[in-house]
Amino acid sequence: MRSTARRTAAVLGAVALLATACAVEDDGDGETAEDGGTEEPGGDTGEIAFDVGVTEEPCPDAVNPDNGCIYLGVLSDLSEGPFAPVAVPITAGQEAFWARVNEDGGIGGFDVDIATYTRDTLYDPQQHSARYREIEPNILALAQTLGTPTTEAILSDMDADNVIGAPASWWSGWAFDDSDQGLILESGYSYCIESQVGLDWFAANVSEPATVLAVGYPGDYGGDSAAGVEHWAEANGAEYAGFVETAPNTIVGSQDAAVSAVMESGADAVVLAVGPAETGEIIGKTVVSGFGGQFLGSVPTWNPALLESAAADAILATYTNIAPWEGIDGTSAAHDAIRESLDGGNPENDGYIFGWVWSYPIKAALEAAAANGDLTREGLRSVVDGLEVDYEGALPAATFGADTNENAIRQAVINRPDEEGTLGVSTIEAEVTGETAEAYDYTSACS
Amino acid sequence: MIGTAILQRRDRVRGRPLLYTSYAADQAILNTPAKRWWTAVLMIVVLALPFLLSRDLTSLMMTVFIYAIGGIGLNLVTGYAGQVSLGHAFFMGLGAYTAAVLGGAETDRVLGFGLDMAIWLPMAGIVPALVGLAVAPLAARVRGLYLAILTLGLVFIGEHVFKEARPITGGAGVGRSPAEPVLFGMDLHGTYHAFGYILPRDAMLYFVCLLIFVVLAVAARNLARSKLGRAFSAVRDRDIAAAVMGVPLQRTKTLAFAISSFYAGIAGALLVVVIGQMTPANWDLFLSIQFLAVILIGGIATISGSIMGAAFVVLMPRLVSELAGSVPFISTAPGSGFLTVFHVQTMLFGALIVLFLVLEPRGLYGLWVRVRNYWKAWPFSY
Amino acid sequence: MAELISSGLVRGLGIGSTYALLAVGFVIIYRATSVVNFAQPALMILGAYFTSVFISSAGLPFAVAVVAAMLVMAAIGLATERIALRPMVGRPPFAAAMVTVGVFITLYVVAHRLIGSRVRAIRDPWGLEPVDLLGVTVAQIDLAKIVISLTAIAVVGLFLARSRLGLAMRATSLDQEVALAQGVNVGRMFGLAWAISGALAALAGALIGTVAGGFEASLALVALKALPVIIIGGLDSIKGAVIAGLFVGVAEALTRTYQPRYADWLGANFDVAVPYVIMIVVLMIRPYGLFGTREVERV
Repeated sequence: MRSTARRTAAVLGAVALLATACAVEDDGDGETAEDGGTEEPGGDTGEIAFDVGVTEEPCPDAVNPDNGCIYLGVLSDLSEGPFAPVAVPITAGQEAFWARVNEDGGIGGFDVDIATYTRDTLYDPQQHSARYREIEPNILALAQTLGTPTTEAILSDMDADNVIGAPASWWSGWAFDDSDQGLILESGYSYCIESQVGLDWFAANVSEPATVLAVGYPGDYGGDSAAGVEHWAEANGAEYAGFVETAPNTIVGSQDAAVSAVMESGADAVVLAVGPAETGEIIGKTVVSGFGGQFLGSVPTWNPALLESAAADAILATYTNIAPWEGIDGTSAAHDAIRESLDGGNPENDGYIFGWVWSYPIKAALEAAAANGDLTREGLRSVVDGLEVDYEGALPAATFGADTNENAIRQAVINRPDEEGTLGVSTIEAEVTGETAEAYDYTSACS
Repeated sequence: MIGTAILQRRDRVRGRPLLYTSYAADQAILNTPAKRWWTAVLMIVVLALPFLLSRDLTSLMMTVFIYAIGGIGLNLVTGYAGQVSLGHAFFMGLGAYTAAVLGGAETDRVLGFGLDMAIWLPMAGIVPALVGLAVAPLAARVRGLYLAILTLGLVFIGEHVFKEARPITGGAGVGRSPAEPVLFGMDLHGTYHAFGYILPRDAMLYFVCLLIFVVLAVAARNLARSKLGRAFSAVRDRDIAAAVMGVPLQRTKTLAFAISSFYAGIAGALLVVVIGQMTPANWDLFLSIQFLAVILIGGIATISGSIMGAAFVVLMPRLVSELAGSVPFISTAPGSGFLTVFHVQTMLFGALIVLFLVLEPRGLYGLWVRVRNYWKAWPFSY
Repeated sequence: MAELISSGLVRGLGIGSTYALLAVGFVIIYRATSVVNFAQPALMILGAYFTSVFISSAGLPFAVAVVAAMLVMAAIGLATERIALRPMVGRPPFAAAMVTVGVFITLYVVAHRLIGSRVRAIRDPWGLEPVDLLGVTVAQIDLAKIVISLTAIAVVGLFLARSRLGLAMRATSLDQEVALAQGVNVGRMFGLAWAISGALAALAGALIGTVAGGFEASLALVALKALPVIIIGGLDSIKGAVIAGLFVGVAEALTRTYQPRYADWLGANFDVAVPYVIMIVVLMIRPYGLFGTREVERV
């Protein structure tokens, strides 16, 4: 009896897949009435309409074999692209996040699967768009799309397909509909708010900097951060010593140019938006040459192994890390769950926590759509405007919607390197906000 | 091409398909009945593909055509004229940015004039061709590996210029969106009705890419059997001997570079239309190497080889990723196990290039010739 | 003046000497087999990785660890030649070069997997310590790079010039068939060239990997800077590779220090393009590099 029902459902599912364009809602209802009503007492699948990327069949290796399955895609950098060192833990963190969701019973009678449609795109827009088109017919949404240019490459397709996604970057553009079509559900601050909160905290707790300098990679990362530094300097009457544009060591070989620019600037506070190896080199070389200022580093500047490098002493003395949320030693319910998922082990770096926290908005959207009884792509997209996301304390509850200036998250966590900390840092102040960042008129992308 | 095909029909001797009674018939592009048949069948299949394949495979096929255009361009300068170039990525980038400025949308970050594809597409070839003309005199002075790395210099210097020319390229990091494929007012990204069918999304773009590809491939094939094409081969085989015979070396090499750059520019402009976004870092050494792989794997100095090579380079990663899933004992979850399926995919791609070049020196074209000759002589072994 | 010496000349010579190491590796393989070895970046980063592992996990002293890593990479170089390159003997050099690209892709994945998600540091004895050199403060590591690299290159040079094997290698690069007729095992010479080149790449990796903040797998691509170096020096000249390597290193260091100050309009990170600009200028004057052998043209 059960196997026949399944087979019918499979056939119907296949038909539904072939004819995605037409009569979507009838299809979904027809299937669920047959199976869901009798066998899933707790689940309310019966009333939920769905089509692409959602099946009545359980996920492969399902935690709850009685549930249906929601397929989410992951487009990341998993073998030899430039961001593989952080993208691999990010993806592992997301796997753990959704495994926990499934263990808690799934969403609206469905488990969530991200492994089946995880693809390696090497941070290359060409691979990214080809792989997106490959998995698009089988997924409901994207659990991760890594990188700014890569995501921009698939955005018009996502718009036409009504696919929403969670980014793996903190570019300011994701907060605005004209650069993300309302499809990208970002978490936490953007780099340009980050540098402002960091400097606000620095001015209040360390010393009021007379000269500030930005060092970073041009574009979505360093460019954003530098825009924040420039605005902060203007608002607080400090001197803006400029934006030193550098590039990863894989391109320039060494950060000597940035080092001499930092030495020359005589800045009191330098905001870094580079990679971890580059951070270590800039701090190590400037401090040894007698630079007297302090460094504020953006989230991705940190890697626990920096404390084993030649620059360790200089880093311990002069470096402060700004992060959107607490690290592995954090105190919120979300952090308890993260540690539980690791079974007492440690992740390789903070990417694991990024991946975990970045997943909350998609989960909230799925739950909202399931509650509306509409797990189609259109249904999912329609809940984004005004969506409330609960981060289990990792971040304050966020609201997605048109008014970014009102809804944007403007708080950060301040970490200092610490040999005792699990991932080499310990938090010295959480939920930091600052006057400049609060007052910033956030109405368009910073870079 | 059409002229020679007609000529050929008149010159044909009944029942002796391989007897040629004129030079033109012997040199015709489709000089055997088998070639004519297969070309016709292939064209029909290719025209039907967007209706048979899913959208992602259609866009992969589009990428194959575009890589074939670029590969043919590189084969003209490297395969036919013997001037090894690693600068192909630079010329592709130049074409793509020319197209994007002329045909792209203006934003507060980047320039864009929003012109029609009928304007931006030819310009995307002409501008790189002019730049190719300008650098050719220098390139003609050196040869072999010196030339390869000299042209690689173009890629590195070009990448630097692209990064700095922000109003044109959007700078490093975010980059910019490509030209809009609007041909004579018709948006090729749109969905259209034809003969009672709803054409799949991007099908129009597919047909236009196919058309451009066919035109450029036939043009290249004709070029290769023209006076200029023979001059190319003479320069490749022994440039001093060619000069002694009265082939103008400088002019021949310069023309080879300019024509190759034209093809590269067109390929670059179309490629980003399919991708959707470009950053200066996309036009790097590895793109140049990919195109060198296209012609080496496909077959040096053959047009059909370039097409097969393009299919290999574009389709193989996809095929490999399907294969890698069936390799036992590897993990599909990133961050666990020694090698994940993603590592295996990338390594397999590398290993396949090695394996292929080791086993089949003349490329896919050579493989095809061997298969063809086997069946021609069948059931005899030779 | 102090700045010119410390962050210009000494730093430049330090970086340049590592370019020279890599370039000599390229030249040795090129002379033996006429192939440009695009796998060199992967060999370099794996060398840096093994050095770092031998120091941090096995607790070996720096010098021992470097030599051990050089041996490992020599073995990997040898194996690569035997498996992937030997079948390409007699084929067009560019097909063989493409084979090395395939090898690079494969080994680069291995490097990524081994290095993983953490920055790796080579705990070298010099770190960031400065030293007083004739009244100017320079970094110890820069001097160490110069001394170690030039010593290693001198050893290779001596080996090629004085030993029987070196003589056989030079004979092979002059004319393979004649060498064969004289009883030289040409295949073994190819393997030896790859082994030496792998060891030099490992040494370069160990020195480049001492960068203060540690290294990631992507640092491998720095080895491509040796490409303009070998062209400037002349493809088949070891002397040329050394001189051009040092020259390019100094030119880069000077650009990094002074270009942002005096020629800002050239844009950020112009030093990346500088080796290629120098290369183009050199080729305009000398089409076979500074010390390369002019090809004899016969009809």
